[in-house]
Amino acid sequence: MAEEEKKQGADAWDATQWHVVEKGETLSKISKKYYGDPNLYMKIFEANKDVLKNPDLIKIGQKLRIP
Amino acid sequence: MTAKRFWLPILLMVFGLLVVSCGSGNKEAATAAMKAAEESWNAAKGEVVKYIPDQAKGVEDAIKAAKENFDKGNFDAALASAKAIPDKVKQLAAAAAAKKAELAKSWEEMSGGLPKMLEAIKSRLDILSQSKKLPANLDKAKLEGAKGGYEEAAKMWEDAKAAFAGGNAADALAKGKTVKEKAVAVMTALGMQVPAAAAPAPVPAPPTAPTPKG
Repeated sequence: MAEEEKKQGADAWDATQWHVVEKGETLSKISKKYYGDPNLYMKIFEANKDVLKNPDLIKIGQKLRIP
Repeated sequence: MTAKRFWLPILLMVFGLLVVSCGSGNKEAATAAMKAAEESWNAAKGEVVKYIPDQAKGVEDAIKAAKENFDKGNFDAALASAKAIPDKVKQLAAAAAAKKAELAKSWEEMSGGLPKMLEAIKSRLDILSQSKKLPANLDKAKLEGAKGGYEEAAKMWEDAKAAFAGGNAADALAKGKTVKEKAVAVMTALGMQVPAAAAPAPVPAPPTAPTPKG
C-alpha cells in the first residue's frame, strides 16, 4: 500500500517530455517543432532507441521521449 | 506560675515548629518539581524550538513563573505550576516529533521529484543551445532567461540539500518550494510539460450568481 502510494507520487513528479506521433510526422519534423532545428532529430532517436530501430521508421500513435 | 502561663509558650513553640516544618516540606517538593520540569524541558527543548518554535514560549513562561513564585517563598504556587510542566513538555515533544516526520516526508517527496525536473530542463537547454534556429514558441531572450532561471534553480537546490543535511528541514523545504516555482516557470517558458506534482493548483472558478426567477 505504502509502496503503491510512493510509486504514484514518483509518477506525479515524472518530468519526461512526451510526443505522440501524428500522421505525416517524421523525426526531423518533430525535432523542428521542439528544437527549431530538424537536423537535431538524432537526439530524439537516441532517446527512444528502446522503441525505434530506425530513425526513418516511426508509427502513428507512437509515444516518443523528447529530451 | 499558673498552668496557662506555663503551657502557652510551649504551644506557640510547637505551632511554630509545625509551620516551619510544613513550609520546609513544600519547599522541598517545589524544588523537586522544578528540577523535574527543567530536566524534562532541557531534554525536549532542542526539537520543540526547532520544529514548533511558537509553542516553546509557553513552557519557558511557566518555568519562569514557577521560579518567581519560589523566590518569593510561594512554594505551593511554585509546586503547582512546576508539576504541570512535564506533561505539557511531553505533549510538545510528541507534536515536534510529528512535525519532524511530516517535514521529512515532504522532503523525501520533493527530493525525489525536483532533480527530475532540473534534469529535464538541462537536457532541453543543452539541445536548444546546439540548435541553429529556435522553435516557434521561443526567441533568444526567452532562451537566455530560461538558462538564467535554470542556473538559479540548480544553485538553490544545492543550498536546499545542504540545509537538509545540516538538520534544517523547514529551511530546506522553503528553498525547495522556490526551486519548484522557478523550474515550473522555466519549463513553461520552454514549452515543456510540467509534472503533475509540480503544476500550480488550478484556480477555483468563481461562484456563479443564481439566475433570477421570473
